[in-house]
Amino acid sequence: MADLKKLRVGIVGCGKIADGHAEVVKYLDGAELVAVCDREPLLAEQLAVRFGVPGWYGDLGEMLERERLDVVHITTPPAVHLPLTRQCVAAGAHVFLEKPLAMTAPEARDLIDVVLAGGRQMTINYWPNFDPPAMQFKQMMARGDVGDPVHVEAFIGYDLSGNYGQVLMSDPNYWVHKLPGKLFHNMIDHVFNRIVPFFPDAEPEIHAFAFKRREGVRNNATDAMLDELRVYLRGGNVSAFGSLCSHARPVANTLKVYGTKATVEVDFNNRTVVSTASQRYPSALGRLAPPLQMTGRYLAESRKNIGQFWRHEFHFFAGMSKLLELFYEAIRNNGAPPIPYTEILRVSEVMDQVIHQVYPVTVGGGAR
Amino acid sequence: MKILITGAGGFLGKAIVERLLAHGQNDLRCMLRDTSKARGLEAIAARYPQSRLEFISANLKNPAEIVPAITGCDMVIHAAAALKGSPAEMFLDSVVASRNLLEVIVNELRPIRIVLVSSFGVMGVPELPRGAMVDERTPMEQHPEQRDVYSHTKLRQEQLFWEYRQKYGFELVVLRPGVIYGPGGGHFSTRVGLNLFGRFLHLGGNNLLPLTYVDNCAEAIVAAALSGTDGEVYNVVDDNLVTSKQYLTAYKKQVRKVRSVPVPYPALMWGSKMVENYSKRSKGQLPAIFTPYKTRAMWGGNQFSNAKLKSIGWRPLLSTREGLDRTFAAFRANPEKAT
Repeated sequence: MADLKKLRVGIVGCGKIADGHAEVVKYLDGAELVAVCDREPLLAEQLAVRFGVPGWYGDLGEMLERERLDVVHITTPPAVHLPLTRQCVAAGAHVFLEKPLAMTAPEARDLIDVVLAGGRQMTINYWPNFDPPAMQFKQMMARGDVGDPVHVEAFIGYDLSGNYGQVLMSDPNYWVHKLPGKLFHNMIDHVFNRIVPFFPDAEPEIHAFAFKRREGVRNNATDAMLDELRVYLRGGNVSAFGSLCSHARPVANTLKVYGTKATVEVDFNNRTVVSTASQRYPSALGRLAPPLQMTGRYLAESRKNIGQFWRHEFHFFAGMSKLLELFYEAIRNNGAPPIPYTEILRVSEVMDQVIHQVYPVTVGGGAR
Repeated sequence: MKILITGAGGFLGKAIVERLLAHGQNDLRCMLRDTSKARGLEAIAARYPQSRLEFISANLKNPAEIVPAITGCDMVIHAAAALKGSPAEMFLDSVVASRNLLEVIVNELRPIRIVLVSSFGVMGVPELPRGAMVDERTPMEQHPEQRDVYSHTKLRQEQLFWEYRQKYGFELVVLRPGVIYGPGGGHFSTRVGLNLFGRFLHLGGNNLLPLTYVDNCAEAIVAAALSGTDGEVYNVVDDNLVTSKQYLTAYKKQVRKVRSVPVPYPALMWGSKMVENYSKRSKGQLPAIFTPYKTRAMWGGNQFSNAKLKSIGWRPLLSTREGLDRTFAAFRANPEKAT
């Protein structure tokens, strides 16, 4: 049975995404955010003050020593994930890491080895995959509603003029520009973590290409960044197509699975899970029915969403709450982690190959 | 005297440069993040043949870039600040940037006088009764985290300057402007209201707006830079202020139609309590964009004094009426910032 004692949680890395973590942990029953840390103490201070966190630190070692944390959320850029994980695990803490896990797949493997060797647990913040529509879709798959997957399409949009995009475009020294895969490296976890679970164990065949669609030259590091990525994959009997798209509107976030029994589209932004209606009746008359069926399905999704909103289950980071509940539960019971480590590693390996194909110079130049 | 102006390419920064030149301060170093902003400053400098403007591109987040900007300066007017972005970015751009600047300044051998452009937002008005006078004796905000991120960053920034002055003993003058307006600025301060779901909620009612026309504000900063007393704070508001309602009415008449819905203060306060309660009850399903604390701070309504500023010789260059006419004419000609 779960221990009633609240887990003592800390955050290291007090940038933008740390706000999301603090907001989620604040409302979780089984945990308490007791300390935050950033090598820039003013950033740690602001997060602590805004969220009423009692402790803030400019040094991780000091935070670990004083706070005796059960879990540390590592929300720094990925280049330091491995050393920070090492430090946290050595202090007896489990770790919850932001994506991308590491700079390369071998480094990701090292990180997981460190966690395993220390007898701790880890997981990565693949929160959209635990959002209500994703959970609903997993149930459909488990029930066999979709049948065997034949083809998978994962699409994520990115807004270069949005909150995150503006920083990326205005600061050539921003850490994302230093990643081997630049913008893609920071985003495509969310493409491949949806595709990889459908593939059998075999290493998939991967064909990636990318280009820069935006115009204008800034004469700085931002110019080197590609902004459109398309990837074809095939593993066993399943094929997939993954996209990161910075220019199409609206900025979408979808997964479409074509199965032997049904084709289902998960819309992460609109929180809908709808299977495509098929023509059951012949002739032109038969074509009139499917749109009506689709209307009914979307209405049912609206009703479901309103119900969730009414019950206060419709938070922006609902998926992170769910993932953390599962992760904390696994820590308490020493159970299986919510995302299998093999799956995390396979995502890293696919990402490595994609990045290698679209940024060969970066890889060849030893920047990794 | 060589003067460094941070944020020199900004809305207020450009006006500060112009007023410094008008006061015969010709040796200016303009710090810009984006050198394309230098063009506007060059146009200003062209009107002052004696001027010697230097442009230096530096990011205050990077201390190494600050050192050459400070070298040889006798005065720093710190006008750079973040107006938007995530909380972490705003703290980086305003607070961490200020700390970096201070660290370089205190390591300079020559004495440097600092003029900080702070904000009305640092004052603890939510604790005051409605209609109370706000002046330099008003205590600083006790709970900036309950207000808004901008006020929080400006408060922490000003605290840092006082802390460093205490420790290192440099000359410091702080200005706290109210709502800075003018051609090229925003159309509506939050103190007037907010766009929500396609309607403009007029929340300011008959509250006085603490307006300061951008050139009047720059003139105040220059007056304080040259004549202000070390260790003093000066609030910056103009004379003959208008109410929120008067501003909105004049705007509608002179700029464009606005579909506005007036929200009386008691209704706003009631709504704020409901929003705050809902946000708590739903565990943050919707953010508490309105809370009684924020409402008291922004829409409670106060009186404002500029007597202290006038005591050092400041006089507005433009009356509020002229300032609004000029601003609204510019808004009409260039409506792009209307939303």
